[in-house]
Order: sequence, then C-alpha cells, then structure tokens
Amino acid sequence: MRDRPETVLTRHFFTSLFDFGFLSDDGAESLKRALLGSLAVAIAFGLLLTRVFMKKYKMLPADPADAFVYELMADHAFLMAVPMWFVAAAVALVGHSLFPDRTDFRILMVEPLSRLTVFTSKLASLLLFVGLFVAGTHLALLPLIAVTLIRAMKTGSMLPAAIAFGISSLSASFCAALVVIAVHGLLVTFALHARVLAISGSVRTILVGGLVLCVPLLARLPGTATAFASDAWWLPWAPPAWFVGLERWLIGDTRQGALAAEAVIVTLLVLIVSVFSYGWLYRRFDRVLLQPASSQRERGWRRSLAQWVGRAPVRHAIGRFVSITVQRSVLHQGLIVGLLAGAGGFVLNGLMNASGWDQPVDTRDRSFLFTILWAPMAGMLLAIPAVRVALAVPLDLRSNWVFRMTEDAAGRAEISSASVRTVLALGVVVPLALTGPIQWWVVGPSAAGLLALEAVIGWLVVEWVMREWHRIPFTCSYIPGKGFVPHMVVKAFAAYVFFTTATMLILRVALAVPQAGVVIGVIVGAAAGALGWQRMRHAPLTPLIFDDELPTDVNPLRLNVD
Amino acid sequence: MLQARGLTKRYGGLLALDRVSFELHPGEIIGYLGPNGSGKSTTVNLVVGLLEPSAGDISLCGIRASDDPIAYKRRIGYVPEEPSLYAHLTASDYLMLVGRLRRLTARTLQHRVPELLKLLQLHDSRYRSMTTFSKGMRQRVLVASALLHNPELLVLDEPFSGLDVNAGLLLRTLLQMLAGEGRMIFFSTHRFDMVEKLCSRVIVLSSGRVALERRVADFDREGPGSLEETFVRATQQPDFAPLARQILDTIAGD
Repeated sequence: MRDRPETVLTRHFFTSLFDFGFLSDDGAESLKRALLGSLAVAIAFGLLLTRVFMKKYKMLPADPADAFVYELMADHAFLMAVPMWFVAAAVALVGHSLFPDRTDFRILMVEPLSRLTVFTSKLASLLLFVGLFVAGTHLALLPLIAVTLIRAMKTGSMLPAAIAFGISSLSASFCAALVVIAVHGLLVTFALHARVLAISGSVRTILVGGLVLCVPLLARLPGTATAFASDAWWLPWAPPAWFVGLERWLIGDTRQGALAAEAVIVTLLVLIVSVFSYGWLYRRFDRVLLQPASSQRERGWRRSLAQWVGRAPVRHAIGRFVSITVQRSVLHQGLIVGLLAGAGGFVLNGLMNASGWDQPVDTRDRSFLFTILWAPMAGMLLAIPAVRVALAVPLDLRSNWVFRMTEDAAGRAEISSASVRTVLALGVVVPLALTGPIQWWVVGPSAAGLLALEAVIGWLVVEWVMREWHRIPFTCSYIPGKGFVPHMVVKAFAAYVFFTTATMLILRVALAVPQAGVVIGVIVGAAAGALGWQRMRHAPLTPLIFDDELPTDVNPLRLNVD
Repeated sequence: MLQARGLTKRYGGLLALDRVSFELHPGEIIGYLGPNGSGKSTTVNLVVGLLEPSAGDISLCGIRASDDPIAYKRRIGYVPEEPSLYAHLTASDYLMLVGRLRRLTARTLQHRVPELLKLLQLHDSRYRSMTTFSKGMRQRVLVASALLHNPELLVLDEPFSGLDVNAGLLLRTLLQMLAGEGRMIFFSTHRFDMVEKLCSRVIVLSSGRVALERRVADFDREGPGSLEETFVRATQQPDFAPLARQILDTIAGD
C-alpha cells in the first residue's frame, strides 16, 4: 500500500523535530538513557507530590468555602502552568522548524508536491508534536489533578469541574504553544530576511532562558491562595491565572470574569497571528530563498584583525572561535543561556524565599545574611559545570579536522588556558556581576572584599572542574550521561551541601574579620594557582581529545579491605 | 620526499587498505585514482595524519608521522573532499583561525589573508558567514587555508569540486606553478582529464591495493582515452553497457 504524500511528509517533519543532529550515534543513545533516567526521577517526584497533595486536601477544612476555593485555584494554576511550561519549552526548542524553511523549499518544491501539501503536512506535524507534549504532561499530572477534584466528587459536581479544568488546561497549553509560534511567525513576516535566522536564534535563546527563569515562579504557584483571595496586582500578568479564571467562569463563578476574558482574548490573538503568519508565508514561500545581503562594515573587519594580534596566538584564536560560536550558534547560545538561567532561577528562588527584604538593615535576622552570602556561591557552583557542559557539546564534527591537523604541544596549553578563561568569564564573572549589587546593597562597601574572595573561590572551582579538560571547545564528540546517574546525583548533592556550607562560613568570617578574609583569600588563591600551574604543565604532554568515549573500565565495588 | 611503505588500515574486520607503498618527490604531482570504496579517502586520511595506519609507516622529508605527528602535519596543506569548515565563521575569521593555529605571525596574516581573499575572489563576501556560501566559494576558502602557511606537501581531495571554470583554471595553473617551485602535490580525484593535464604520475587503487602505477606521459604516447581504458581494466570494472540497460529496464518496469 502506498502512503499518501501528506502522510510521508508529516512523518518526516515530525521525526525531524526530534533530530539531535549535534550528537554522535553513541551520544544520542546515551542521551536517550539519560532522558529515561530523568523521566524515572520525575515520576518518583510526581508520586511524592501526589502524597503531599493528598495530605493537604485531607486536612483542608471545608469551611469557609472561599478559603478552599482559593487553595484550589492556586493548585490549579500550578497544574496548568506545568504543561504550559513544558509545551512552550518544547515548541521554543524546535523554533527553527515551526515554519517551512529554505531547505524545505529547495528540496520539496522540486518534487511533484503542491505548496498546500507541504504546509498542511508541516502544520499537522506541529499539531502532533504539541499534542504529544500536551497529552504527556496532562497524563503525568493526572493523579494530582484527581486529588484536587476529590472534594467536587463529594458534592456531585465532579464531571462539570473536571470538564472545566480540562478545557481550561488544554487551552492554556495550546495558548503557550501558540505564543511561541506567533512570535516566530511575526519574525518570519516582518523581519528583514537577511536577519531572520540570526534573530530567530536569539529569540529562541531568550524564550528558553526566560522559561528556565520562570521555574522558581512556577514552583511557588501552589502557595498563592492569598493572592487569589486578595486579587493581587500581578494576577492579570500571570498566564496560568487567566486560565484558572476561565475554569472558574466555566463552573459559574463570575468573580473571575476579567481573568477569563484575558485568557480568551490572548488565545484568540496568538491564534490569529499564527494563522496569519502561516498564510503570509504560504503566499510568499519563494521569499525564503532570498540570500542575506553582505554588510559593509569596515570597522568590524579591522576590529577582527586587531583581535588576532598579540602573543599566545592559539589562545587568541580559540578565544575568538569560542566567542563567535557563542554569538552565532543557536544551539550553544541556547545551551549557555538556558543552563545559566537554570542556575539563576535556583538562586532567584532562594533569594525570594529569604525574609527580610522589607525590613530595616539592623533588624534583619542572620538567615537573611546567610542567603545573601549563599547566592553567588550556589550560582557559581551550578554555572561552572553548566558552562563546561556547553563547551563540550560539538558544533560540526566533520570540520574539526582543521584542529587535528594544526595541533601542537605549546598550543595545547594555550587551548587549555582559553577554555579556562571562558569558563571563568561565564561561570564566575556573570554570577558575581548579577549578585554583587545585591550584596553591596545589603552589606555596604564590605561587599568589595567579599566579591574579591568569592572570585578567588570561583577561580579555584574552575581550576578543579577543568583539571581534566583536554579538548577544544565545541570540537569533540559528546556522550551525555556517561556516569552512573544515581551516583552522580548523590555526589553532586554532597558537593553542593559541602561547598555552599563551607563557603558561607568562610564569607561570614571574612565579613566579621576582614584580615582573616585576606588570609583565606591568599590560601585559596595559592591553591587555585597551583592547580592552574599543574594544568599548564601537563597540557602540552596530553594529546587533545576529539572523540569522546564511554568508560570501558569496570568500576570495582571494593567491598574487601584489601 | 613523501614516502609511504606498506600502508595498511583495518576498520575492525574490514581491510580498507592493504600494503600500499608509493613515493612522491619534490616538484611532482601524483594523481590518485580509484573507484568508490577502493581506499582513496583512507589513504588521504593517513597521508595527512588524521588516521594512524594499522601497519606500515609514512614519512615526509624524513619525519615519520608516527614519531613526530605535529612536525609532520606542520608541513602539509590539505583540501578535504567535502567542504567541511566552520560555516558560522566568516571567510576571514576562518583563515585567521587556521593561520593562528599554524602560528603565523599577526603581520603575515594581516597581509596574507586579505590578499588571498582578493585573489580567490572572496573579498566581497568577507563579512558574510560561510553558511551563505556556495560549494565553490567554500572550496576556495579551503584552498586558501591549505596554502596559507606555504606547505611543502599539498594533499588535495577532489579540489575542483564545485569550482567554476575560471576558478578551476586558476587552481590548475597554481598547482602547476607550485610543483614547478618544488612542492609535492598528492591529488586524489575521479577526473581523468585533470590527471592527464596536471599529473606526472598516476596511482590506481582497487580494493585497497595499488592496481597500477605509471607515468602519465606513457598514456599520452598511447593516445586519447588510454588512461580511462587502463583504469577500467586495472580496477576490473564490469561492462557498463549491460548495466545501463538493466537500469533502463528497471525504471521502465512496474
């Protein structure tokens, strides 16, 4: 039996949405294993959360009725926000494939296929993709949703309540997907074609970074019952709240009519923009073939030349290569921004939990100060390995022959140095630049000394993390999740607890006795310097790695003493 | 001189190259011919030092690749078969990167890179990332990067692929002049016409073994088409007419 062209094309578009082209076969296999492991952790966490919800709903008093409703609204905001987040993140990650592009035009339009076939297949694949994530996340949350609806079952209104929730939550998820599609659609429609690729890459990065930063806000939604009770100012700005309003309105609670209206208007608006963008591209599909015009920036040319001048040519070359790649590779830009945003979100959550922001300086308790001291250290500890991972993900493995051909002993040390500098800039300087002003605001000018000490500690962590780094950023094949996942999780957690506790104490001592801080700084700096010296001494003797390998040694358990 | 002795390469159980030996002298251009899967690309990867042989050795100007791979590779310029380069860079960024990795001085690069870009007609596109480049333009960037450090041995794997007529003629003339100045050129290709026009000697590879090694002048004496006929015989190619007939029958049937 012959497949219809629409079916074949839809299948092709759908599978290409999951194509991780940057990974080798081993890497893709390893990623699948890591994803399965993460799924298992997520399911375990979901079961734990279900128990927490069951306990909460068992203990919630029926009276006053409004108090129960506001708790329910807060929980439903969370239960709608989770699928919204996953769907928006998934669609944002495949932002480059949301509309038929130049490759589709070149390859498909020479085949006996109508433009309508190409577009409907693309839309169908996108719908399948979004549907898969919407269904998957809702199925995963089903036990939690059921727990929140148990009370309605007792009053006999279970079915209307479930339908209202279903309509609202599904609308919320599709709205989240449509927002991302509409943003990309506006770009395709209105941006100069020469800039579309670059802008859409940056938009994807910003969307992913923003979504990651939203994670702590999302986690706080179950605790927002009072906000719903008091009609907090931020509710009209929080998309999950709109759809909770829609749910209440569908049940018959007209008090949330404004939020419900907002949900309907925004959904319709992004739907119209998405449809318009598709329609516009359908009529002007040939436009995608236009080549970007060359810019005429003489200054850029001279600047680029000047940047190559100087000593340590290989270090400069690699530094420039890394800098251009981070600016132009959507994958790496997204990885770095996404991972740094993850670290930022974690720290932001900690800072938001601290009580004392609105109190006078003298009356703040010690835990507030500890949180302020904890923030940069936690940020660095998460950001440094994250940047290392981003540097390890390859760009174009077929092109790394040029580095293999030009490798030399002295160059290896310079490459190591360039890599460490990159991690220092992104993993230490960025977190300190973001948290430094907060520390200054809280502890005053003493923050300068603290920042210096934090920078030295960050340097030590970078040297430790990069001690086995024998590769050029973005040039070696990558196999994610090589280690034994539970072992890695325990190790990472222990490292986090030890590091943040120890460094908080050090910073506290340094704040109380600045002289002690200087001594500690010198000791930590000497340790970092020693590690750096050792790294530079060994680098020329160790060949660069261009092919990542799975560990072949069996890890002995060593249960016997000998 | 480039000397390959008993080069053998196995990929697991597959013998890709079986005791291949040849010499390439200064001023000489060797044409390296062979059908797909004959081991041409494996030889090229061994010659440029991207692969290590399972047996045998290779040396350039007395430096064995296995003894000092860095010094060995420093003397080589390479144009790969596929135009594999970091396309997110501009042409000048890429040449600067390669030049710095080759440890050319800033002064040399400041002069050499723009000049090469001008001469290879890439100057107008110097600010564009190479993602927008045609195959021919990428090929010209690769030729420039191979020549940038003025190497003693040029290893070219289908260098004319994608080049327009003018660029092809320029490259051919350039290669002849480089050979005239004493450079060694290892030229892997499928194009008999280019081998006849450029090379002094030809090596034909079949199933991982050297099937034929002759001077190109000998073919010239035997008349036009002689290289092609010899190649078909040496590589034991089937008669193509029945094969073409079969293809026609296949597409005509249900």
